[in-house]
Amino acid sequence: MNFSQINLLLLSGFGKTCSLFFLTLIFALPLGLVVMFGLICPFKPLRWLTRTVVWIIRGTPLMLQLFVVFYVPGMLFHTNLFVGTSGRFQAALVAFVINYSCYFAEIYRGGVESIPRGQYEAAQVLGLSRVETFFRVVLMQVVKRILAPMSNEVITLVKDTSLARVIAVAEIFYINEVRILSKAIIWPLFYIGVFFLLFVGALTLLFNYAEKKLSYYKL
Amino acid sequence: MAILEVKNLRKHFGGNEVLKGVDFSLEKGNVLSIIGSSGGGKTTLLRCLNFLEKADEGDIFVNGECVYHAEAGMKKPVVSPKAQRSMGLVFQQFNLFPQYSVMDNLMLAPKLQAKRLPADARESAQEILARAEALLARVGLSEKANAYPCELSGGQCQRVAIARALMLQPEILCFDEPTSALDPELTGEVLRVIRSLKNSERTMIIVTHEMEFARNVSDKVIFMADGVIEEMGTPEEIFDHPKSEKTAAFLSHRAF
Repeated sequence: MNFSQINLLLLSGFGKTCSLFFLTLIFALPLGLVVMFGLICPFKPLRWLTRTVVWIIRGTPLMLQLFVVFYVPGMLFHTNLFVGTSGRFQAALVAFVINYSCYFAEIYRGGVESIPRGQYEAAQVLGLSRVETFFRVVLMQVVKRILAPMSNEVITLVKDTSLARVIAVAEIFYINEVRILSKAIIWPLFYIGVFFLLFVGALTLLFNYAEKKLSYYKL
Repeated sequence: MAILEVKNLRKHFGGNEVLKGVDFSLEKGNVLSIIGSSGGGKTTLLRCLNFLEKADEGDIFVNGECVYHAEAGMKKPVVSPKAQRSMGLVFQQFNLFPQYSVMDNLMLAPKLQAKRLPADARESAQEILARAEALLARVGLSEKANAYPCELSGGQCQRVAIARALMLQPEILCFDEPTSALDPELTGEVLRVIRSLKNSERTMIIVTHEMEFARNVSDKVIFMADGVIEEMGTPEEIFDHPKSEKTAAFLSHRAF
């Protein structure tokens, strides 16, 4: 196996890693908002239900959740919900989206609850509806407040994608182990490290840029 | 006819009865100052008038129309949709929206309000802008239109907050200790603006610790203590000839 062949293999794995990362974000960022509304819902049964779900998801390993999502539907209903290569990817995506929504929801909740009551009261006396208050007054302040914890979580997600290998999703580690490491070629491991460093480096720059963009006002 | 009539307003937090039946009325164009020691119920009264707290019992009439009604045993008070619009409030802590420029702070609520109206009845964006510019000039902050709240002094913030409340043209404009969060040297500019707003059309209620200001600007003064109106009258009556011992004691502790 020559250098360019290894490169192509690793890139295909890295492509999977990236699509898992971006798709998880696309679904989990808004879903986290929905979960957050459950967490702060004045209707107690819904609030407790959401809290229990978040407790379970945050309290069990993501790896276990990957297994559960991939195997349990088939065991219970004797149908293969996730079939073939794309099925494995879908199962991983579902597990990641559920897992990260719960973490995001808690970060959002912290942000929303840190907004001073005066902001809500000012919006109320100005005749804004609750929806307007959330989207026009609260949300942008929340975004500014949660940027730092969100950058943490998003960076963790980059590296968590490697867990998808446990259900044989062909992300970069799986490819490396099955196709390259098995031929006793060690150096690509370091090569993969560089991939991740560059990716996280780019994300860090992006978050710094966003923080700068939002620094025109203080809370 | 009185523009505002408050009848038997009661409010308690847990076992603590903060308002023990408050009655008063206010004529259009009048300025009412509410004075009294901390914990006397002044701010709670003002918050009830702005529906930030829901009074447990009592009625609020604006222009003869009942906008708020609550009585013992009712699950929820009856609040008319007009209620919030008839009142405006300026907070002690300004509560400007930090992510919006001064101009956008002024225009946010009127723009959202316009959206709810049918196209032919709504105020255009240019009209809202023109009103906002006029009000900013009125509070002396035209050059700060594009500044953000964090770039302003406390006094400037409070003047913006006053302009923002005026944008909605409330029937009654309330001030909750508008200068208590300000350094003494910034108090004057805010009080000057409030004084300049006084005219025959504008009704204002001011909760304040500035006795000199209350005496000069008000048509009517209420002294509150322990959740009731201890004394009510013209500034001369309250400040020069207080009838109640509590009022006299309160005023004697204050240097003029």
